[in-house]
Amino acid sequence: MNTMNQTEINDKTKDIELTKAWYQAAVRTAIVAGVFSLIVCGLLLTNYFQGRVSDPLNSKELSELKEALLQEPRNDSIKEQIRVLDLELRQEYFRQREFSKWGSYLLLAGIVVFLIGIKFAADYRKKLPIPQAKDEQGHEAHAATMARWSIAALSLVLGSAALVLAIISEVGPTGKFLKFAEKVTALTLEGRDSTVVPVTAEADYPSQEEINKNWPRFRGPGGLGISAYTNVPSSWNGETGAGILWKTPVPLPGENSPVVWKNRVFLTGATEREREVYCFDADSGELLWQRAVENIPSGPLEAPEVMEDTGFAAPTAVTDGRRVYVIFANGDLVCFDFDGNRIWAKNLGLPENVYGHASSLAMFTSFTDDFVLRYRNLLLVLFDQGGAEDDLSKLLALDALSGKIVWQTLRSVPNSWASPIVINTGTRAEIITCANPWVIAYEPTTGKELWRAKCLSGDVAPSPVYSNGMVFATNEYAYLAAIRPDGEGDVTETHIAWRAEDGLPDICSPLSNGEFVFLLASYGILTCYNAQDGSVVWEQDLEASFKSSPSLVGDKVYLMSDEGVMFIVAAEREFKELSRAELGEGVHTSPAFMDGRIYIRGKKNLYCIGNK
Amino acid sequence: MLWKSLEGKSQLLLFSTRVNRHLRFTSFTIFIFVLLVLPDVAFGVERFPPPQFDDHELPVTTVPEPRRDLYEYLDVAALLAALSLASYLALKKRSRRGVFLLGIFSLLYFGFWRKGCVCSIGATQNIVLALFESGYTAPITVIAFFILPLIFTLFFGRTFCAAVCPLGAIQDVVAIRPIKVPSWLEHALRLLPYIYLSAAVLFAATGSAFIICEYDPFVAFFRRSGSLNMLILGACFLLVGVFVGRPYCRFLCPYGVMLNLVSKASKWHVTITPGECIQCRLCEDSCPFGSIERPTQELRIHNRAEGKKMLAILISLLPLFIALSSWLGVLISPALSRVHATVSLAERVWLEDTGKIEETTDASEAFRRTGRPTEELYNEALTLKKRFTFGGGMFGAFIGLVIGIKLINLSIRRRRMDYEVNRGTCLSCGRCFSYCPIEHVRLKKSS
Repeated sequence: MNTMNQTEINDKTKDIELTKAWYQAAVRTAIVAGVFSLIVCGLLLTNYFQGRVSDPLNSKELSELKEALLQEPRNDSIKEQIRVLDLELRQEYFRQREFSKWGSYLLLAGIVVFLIGIKFAADYRKKLPIPQAKDEQGHEAHAATMARWSIAALSLVLGSAALVLAIISEVGPTGKFLKFAEKVTALTLEGRDSTVVPVTAEADYPSQEEINKNWPRFRGPGGLGISAYTNVPSSWNGETGAGILWKTPVPLPGENSPVVWKNRVFLTGATEREREVYCFDADSGELLWQRAVENIPSGPLEAPEVMEDTGFAAPTAVTDGRRVYVIFANGDLVCFDFDGNRIWAKNLGLPENVYGHASSLAMFTSFTDDFVLRYRNLLLVLFDQGGAEDDLSKLLALDALSGKIVWQTLRSVPNSWASPIVINTGTRAEIITCANPWVIAYEPTTGKELWRAKCLSGDVAPSPVYSNGMVFATNEYAYLAAIRPDGEGDVTETHIAWRAEDGLPDICSPLSNGEFVFLLASYGILTCYNAQDGSVVWEQDLEASFKSSPSLVGDKVYLMSDEGVMFIVAAEREFKELSRAELGEGVHTSPAFMDGRIYIRGKKNLYCIGNK
Repeated sequence: MLWKSLEGKSQLLLFSTRVNRHLRFTSFTIFIFVLLVLPDVAFGVERFPPPQFDDHELPVTTVPEPRRDLYEYLDVAALLAALSLASYLALKKRSRRGVFLLGIFSLLYFGFWRKGCVCSIGATQNIVLALFESGYTAPITVIAFFILPLIFTLFFGRTFCAAVCPLGAIQDVVAIRPIKVPSWLEHALRLLPYIYLSAAVLFAATGSAFIICEYDPFVAFFRRSGSLNMLILGACFLLVGVFVGRPYCRFLCPYGVMLNLVSKASKWHVTITPGECIQCRLCEDSCPFGSIERPTQELRIHNRAEGKKMLAILISLLPLFIALSSWLGVLISPALSRVHATVSLAERVWLEDTGKIEETTDASEAFRRTGRPTEELYNEALTLKKRFTFGGGMFGAFIGLVIGIKLINLSIRRRRMDYEVNRGTCLSCGRCFSYCPIEHVRLKKSS
């Protein structure tokens, strides 16, 4: 029995030793395989990052060559260089992939051997199931308590995470977007045809009274060039600084005129590559903010071809006192709030315009508060382009809040440079536009054409004006036409009260105080017509050149010459020059008149004329 | 006597170790196979751009023909057969080896051959979408894949998980050294599948996404194609699965939630012992999934009183849990709504329009090309957001209910005299069979 026991013991000892040897072999194999796998893994990572650097899609050298080929499309040498480099990059790429492939197999083999080693080692050290001591009284209850606490803790963590997510979502883009969408859809949900649905949102548009107190667009309220204030200065001197309240350089050039709302002055500037919007403090001239207009969705890559005199920022901005809207020669149309936050932006397409797009923006806001419209704050864009037969020209009305196109009406007219105006005839609102050869009126809420009169010709740049129940439209090589705006269809034969042919302007817009109509030709002839019958009251050569449109301040006409000399003449039956004031800097834009002040954009600076 | 007793136990365990070795060898063969397909997956992700010269002839793209209907029905037949066989092997035959080998078959057929689709887990979303979206009808095969495992579970317990689900099978073959997850952690983590399920239902009901399919961690292996992220996610699950038995099945699987509930009411279920439990306690730690429950002990009177008090408090707090959770669900609904492509696109378009984002995306470019007004898109996004507000509330309420019920459940004391499997969480894998001495007696008798 003892011998048998001894044999058993010997056998067991041998088994134990054998097991020990196998265990050690398994552990060593696992260590070797593990180290091997780590090395291969390191090499693979290195190869991966190298591959990212020499990615043929991102090769700097290849990109430069492609750029060069774009400049010289017929250069065979560059093409050959591209081919050679492309081939090299591809070969390198596939070499790296081959390396990755075999490296991965090696890594996998290493991992497999490692795991087999670990598995065998674990098997040789397998523990037998030895039950633990029996639970003591209360252990079960303790385990349940622990489990409850763990669930509570996890719930707390998840709840906190949900709260954080909710806060991030609320203050982040999602929350802002949803608020914006709610606001917009609340106003525009039912579609454009419902014109008498009450708008319950807070007044997000200006009253007519507010508009009249400010200078919200090209040529001020209504685009008429008439100042609401008569206390504006009539003398200053740019050289001595007399009468100049402040003067601030404008970063980029532009032919657009200042628009002013309370204590903010807005301008735009642009070059072929850059487009910017500026907001100045009206009291100090401080540049409050300057925003680049870029990354406009679907914006054209190429710059438009423009005439030097027009430039890339000829259209004047428009403001509704809450936001400012700007357009550039490349069709970028952007809305900013008064703090410089971009509200919306879109590109209307690169306009086909021989001189460059110059028509300024306008707005339609209902004239009375009880006349509530679905879209009571429309941004109007006259986007005439191409030839008359191209059917490219159009008038667009956009919801000012969202930038949504509410309506657009095609116009069979060629490119033009005049700005639209919105008039109130007493019975209806009309948008008046000018382009060769038509003056066309549209219904503001639908874009439906109301009437048209054939009285223009050539390249139409002067904008129309409305005074004393009459629309005055004019252009060089055509007429000055006085049109009654209560017609329908083609009113050429029926509603043109009178026509005149003297002193027709090619750039400057007309001015009327209801009694007279003033025309200012760019070569300096100022003609005063009788608004009732179209007879010439007087004519005067100012011996200066003009691009700035005339303005009316009380009974004085302000005329800013290209050289920066303001001619102030009496709006009377006899020509009478009241004074001249020199700015000392050339001016192509029209001044903005506010309470006791004039804002003038010179070629390089923005001026505020006023008493300190 | 003591020596003999220990010798008997060690022989028993050596026997079980031999059985386990065979199984593990097979496991490793499969594991190696899985790992060998990884490189193909990684390589399949990248595409080399074609040369940009005009004279380069691009190869014609070939489109594979759609799968024949016959194969769809074959899948259903295979599922039915596999479920029947799994139930037979687990309950009648009590064969862990059989269950494991059937799992290998399921992995190969439903996983690698059928590329993980259609699968019962993902089919849940089709059913939900069909319920909420009148324009969508779930295919009959999808309905079968959803309903058949539930029916079998109602009768035989979770035999689907044991040997038919390819996701379970792939985790089973890598479960080399599973450790026991502490009970308190197990209870907490088992909350996650409910959250995943309710999120999947919310997103499917709103037509936003099939997140179960999108985040299926193993489908990249099955298809030998997929994003690098999914590959890494799957590899992580497998790596964790080496030490934690079936982590996806236990702590994430949304279909498992339903199977768990149905299995609790199953007519028949696997048992640890084929006869009477002798309370040898050898099986105590045999289950890597923490599904073996110990016999309970008598509580002292004051403990019972405390338990009752706790139960009353938790029951009264249940409405509060639901309300609070529902409120949180509503709060996060805007964030959840971003999962829907339309909401996401609308936000993107708005960000681009307002210059807050510089680059455009393919989706935003495509939208702009349609010429649709952005307000229409915004309006659509708002409508969806409202649905998410309601859905988020329901989602939160469900989570609150689950938390409350779990807490209440933990406060209810159930009496157990023997070692038993938890009918809800037991996967019917049969690992515990070989630990039971009664089982060995049965096997000896039958041989």
